[in-house]
Amino acid sequence: MSTKVRPALLALLALAAGPAAAGELAIEVHAGYFEMAAENSASALFDSRGGGTFGGAVRYTFWRGAFVSAGARTFSREGERVFVAAPNAAVQKLGFPLKVSLTPVFLTVGYRFRDGKLIVPYAGIGGSLTFYKEEGEVAGEAFDDDRSKAGFLGLAGVEVGRGTFRVGAEAGYSTVPDAVGVAGVSKVYGENDLGGWHAVGKLIVAF
Amino acid sequence: MRITVAAAVALLVASPGPLSAQDASVVRAVRTARAAAPAGAFREGQVIVAFRAAADERDVERALRSGGALEARRSRSGSGARYLVALEPGLSVPDAVERYSRMPEVEYAEPNGIVRHSQAATFKPNDTLYRFQWNLTQMGAERTWGIQKGKPSVAVAVLDSGVAYEDYFDPRTGQSFGKAPDWGDTTFLPGYDFVNGDAHPNDDEYHGTHVASTIAEATNNATGVAGLAFGCAIMPVKVLDESGEGTFFDVAEGIDYAVEYEEGGEKPVKVVNLSLGSEGTSQTLRSAIERAWAAGVLTVAAAGNSGKGVVEFPANLANVLAVGALDARKERASYSNTGADLDFVAPGGDCDRDDNADGYGDCVFQQMPDDRYLEIGRHDVFCYCGLDGTSMATPHVAAAAALLFSQGFTDPAAVRAALEQAAERLGGAPDGGRNDTYGHGLVLPAAALPGLGFNVGSKN
Repeated sequence: MSTKVRPALLALLALAAGPAAAGELAIEVHAGYFEMAAENSASALFDSRGGGTFGGAVRYTFWRGAFVSAGARTFSREGERVFVAAPNAAVQKLGFPLKVSLTPVFLTVGYRFRDGKLIVPYAGIGGSLTFYKEEGEVAGEAFDDDRSKAGFLGLAGVEVGRGTFRVGAEAGYSTVPDAVGVAGVSKVYGENDLGGWHAVGKLIVAF
Repeated sequence: MRITVAAAVALLVASPGPLSAQDASVVRAVRTARAAAPAGAFREGQVIVAFRAAADERDVERALRSGGALEARRSRSGSGARYLVALEPGLSVPDAVERYSRMPEVEYAEPNGIVRHSQAATFKPNDTLYRFQWNLTQMGAERTWGIQKGKPSVAVAVLDSGVAYEDYFDPRTGQSFGKAPDWGDTTFLPGYDFVNGDAHPNDDEYHGTHVASTIAEATNNATGVAGLAFGCAIMPVKVLDESGEGTFFDVAEGIDYAVEYEEGGEKPVKVVNLSLGSEGTSQTLRSAIERAWAAGVLTVAAAGNSGKGVVEFPANLANVLAVGALDARKERASYSNTGADLDFVAPGGDCDRDDNADGYGDCVFQQMPDDRYLEIGRHDVFCYCGLDGTSMATPHVAAAAALLFSQGFTDPAAVRAALEQAAERLGGAPDGGRNDTYGHGLVLPAAALPGLGFNVGSKN
């Protein structure tokens, strides 16, 4: 066995070291990509619909594969203020700095299929409270917004491993309706949802 | 076609006599403010050093000295040994922070960062006669300048009676033209005289110089008055003769010239100012304006001074911003035309009133050739003179548009929309709406320049 292969094999053995069980508590670290539902607004201000996101959660599997999870992720993008006359009009870049941050705090319930196996698919639904912060500045004058709004989310993923240390991948969609769209480009584009798609990788420590 | 000046009265003294000396003590110099210091800004030659509770005075003194302190001031607070340290010459702040941070008796060391009060930036110029420019106050000029003063890469073509932009002897007529005294560093692009067919579009009247000065008269040079977009360039294009009359053909030619002008691969003219109008109409001129719009150039024109309920041509065209006049009370000037085609109002003045009680009629004051010398062929004597009319209102809007182009706008339709959204509604016009007396209202460039955030609009 070559020395290059050995660490990988050890990692696999660690992942498969022991079975999960009801009453299991796990701590998860998430990192991945989030794409805003308000894609036109995001593209106008940031030149992209989404970006990196990271966060974490605590999961408790309380009965067979049923679990409850609570956590938070954060997403922030920096761009510049713009002017858009109408949804189909050209975006006018104005150079004034702008930063938007989204921090959804979520509570989900779900089910882990084949719980205790090496590969565990799971799915869940839940509610969220998304904290939205916008910070802009134009020649010394602040153009800020700070609000929070409840929403919903659904997710599905797969977890690999049976031991203390596991990995996983998850995708989901959240909706936070009527959160924005009262002014700014989100009003021009008629986009009021602060939710969106996420796809994250997970590092899991189970107890 | 004729120029649209309602009146020309109330001459101001141009010579810098006792008045300017008095002004110097009254008018403050530039004042700007920022919400926060630039990230990482700190006071050079100083660091803050905090010592652990276990450190005694001898430890502190030794550490301060070995770290490079020239002198140190202990915090008056009783909450720990914290010192503001003045560093030895040549010792940089980062080096000192690193040096102190390594010492076991030091809890932390950091640069002495700079904070500033939180206030929107404004810019108050020191021009000696600025206090008579109620028109600029009405448009929120000082906050506007705090955001944007204009860029010389953005030019406004002033199609008018010419501009007093050069010292020039005209061998054809034997007349001498002078450069008006308060142009300072204002950039002029090569223009053209379509009345006389030469490349010297000097002003043989006064109207064009006054209009151009509203846009880009030198500002904050302790001289005369200010211009709203004083950082922008002017392209003088003469299409009106010495009596203020011109033809559709020449105006169309002037627009095409301005739109097609290229410098270094760029087309700097973004705005065409037409402080002129007619009760007629012209396909030739309409087509030129359409070409300008298609090329990304915004045309701004005077609504007319007859007080009628119809906006004159070409201001009444769809792709032209039609501008009516306000007096110092922010009410429609009695001469200003109204109608469904009116887009905006801006200060045009009323020289017959003195509502701001400054001792002068409420004209718009700018530099221009002194009309008392025109009859004897002198075009090199100047005054800071007051005029009123929709001709005077129009360059305020042209200047506002030029400031938006300077900020990054590239699309005339966007400029128009931004000005519409940010305008101050007057005469009971609903929010976001218009009426025939004031159009969308008073143009406020400072409210249009910030643009839009994600969920925050242009007005804070």
